Amino acid sequence: MDDGRKARDDGELCRLMSVYLDGRPGAIDAFDALYAALAPRLRSFLLGLCRDAALADDLVQDTFMQLHRSRRTYEPGRPVAPWAFAIARHVYLMHRRRTARRLRFEETLAAETLGADALLVRDDVSVLAARDELRRALAAVPSDQRQALVMHHVEGWSFAEIAERLGIRVNAAKTRAFRGIRKLKAQLKGERN
Amino acid sequence: MSTAIAPDRLRRAVASSLAPVRPLLPPARRALLLAPLALATVVAVPALNFFRPDFAELGTLRAWGFSLVEALAGLAIVGLALRESIPGRALSRGAIAAAVAVGLALPLLIYVATASRFDIGVRPQARLYVAAVCFRTSVIAALPALLAAAVLVARALPLRPGVAGALYGLGCGVIADAGLRLFCEFTMPSHVVTAHGGAIVVVMVLGGVIASVGHRR
Repeated sequence: MDDGRKARDDGELCRLMSVYLDGRPGAIDAFDALYAALAPRLRSFLLGLCRDAALADDLVQDTFMQLHRSRRTYEPGRPVAPWAFAIARHVYLMHRRRTARRLRFEETLAAETLGADALLVRDDVSVLAARDELRRALAAVPSDQRQALVMHHVEGWSFAEIAERLGIRVNAAKTRAFRGIRKLKAQLKGERN
Repeated sequence: MSTAIAPDRLRRAVASSLAPVRPLLPPARRALLLAPLALATVVAVPALNFFRPDFAELGTLRAWGFSLVEALAGLAIVGLALRESIPGRALSRGAIAAAVAVGLALPLLIYVATASRFDIGVRPQARLYVAAVCFRTSVIAALPALLAAAVLVARALPLRPGVAGALYGLGCGVIADAGLRLFCEFTMPSHVVTAHGGAIVVVMVLGGVIASVGHRR
């Protein structure tokens, strides 16, 4: 209990950050201690923003990953918490932007698949048929293009993240997603005709 | 008291890339890295074109002194942009407004303080051409500092890239104007506000766009 209290203290957090930045053998333990001290507070903060417990848990992990990637932006000696909270807020906003992009994409696809009239009716059978049509059309897209397409347009990953994840260049990720969309549209058009 | 334990996946990801990192220098010191470039910009604008005809009459203080002050103000604004790009050190709205006000007003104040007459202009037919020359010279002169500042900001994590970009754009515009005032002798307010001030605003917008687009990629 005392350790946790100490870790919450700014001075202790600063010390942990400097060990963590050093990258020496104790660095991973320092990271664990930082996690123990900051994760519950970040979770409450993120929960207040997104009002979804499961999502808040995911966002805490994303925050620590981003915090790790951006650890060089921490200024030694300054309080750790404001830095970590600012990154958490950034992660939340990025998530919101990705979700909005995904919803827009799904709406566009639904509109293209169902047509304007069907969208107004929103009949369950036609929605199911459209999903089936979409699934078949997606299956016809080459797997590398499909992967990039789904990661970007459905899951909301940025092209830089896709490139990192797949071990390809950013331009290649863009090209794959673009070709995938083109192929998907052609497939959907073909199915309807 | 906290018993939160980092999940295995996160811990493994962190452990696999736990190389030592050197924290970024404080924003003010990073802004000072641009000082040689700022100085070169101030000197290059008149040196690569020509010094204004009344340069000798102005005297060292009114010519170089005020340009130095203006360039330092530009660097300070770039420093604010670098601070803005550090998580947790975002500027308040008041600070941003003050920086923008100073950035836009200082070149005009220096112009008012150093000009002895406010009617030196060109014949009406050449006004547009001269304005275009000043505008173009200022924007081009700002580009090297703008790109360098963009790199410095991108190395951090700007959470409001548009704001950070607009601030470093403004700072670089002011730095370029510090050189431009040693080159352009025209003191007609309409020329100074539109051509000189317009160039600063355009570089500011350019900075905002560069930072926003760069951040999205």
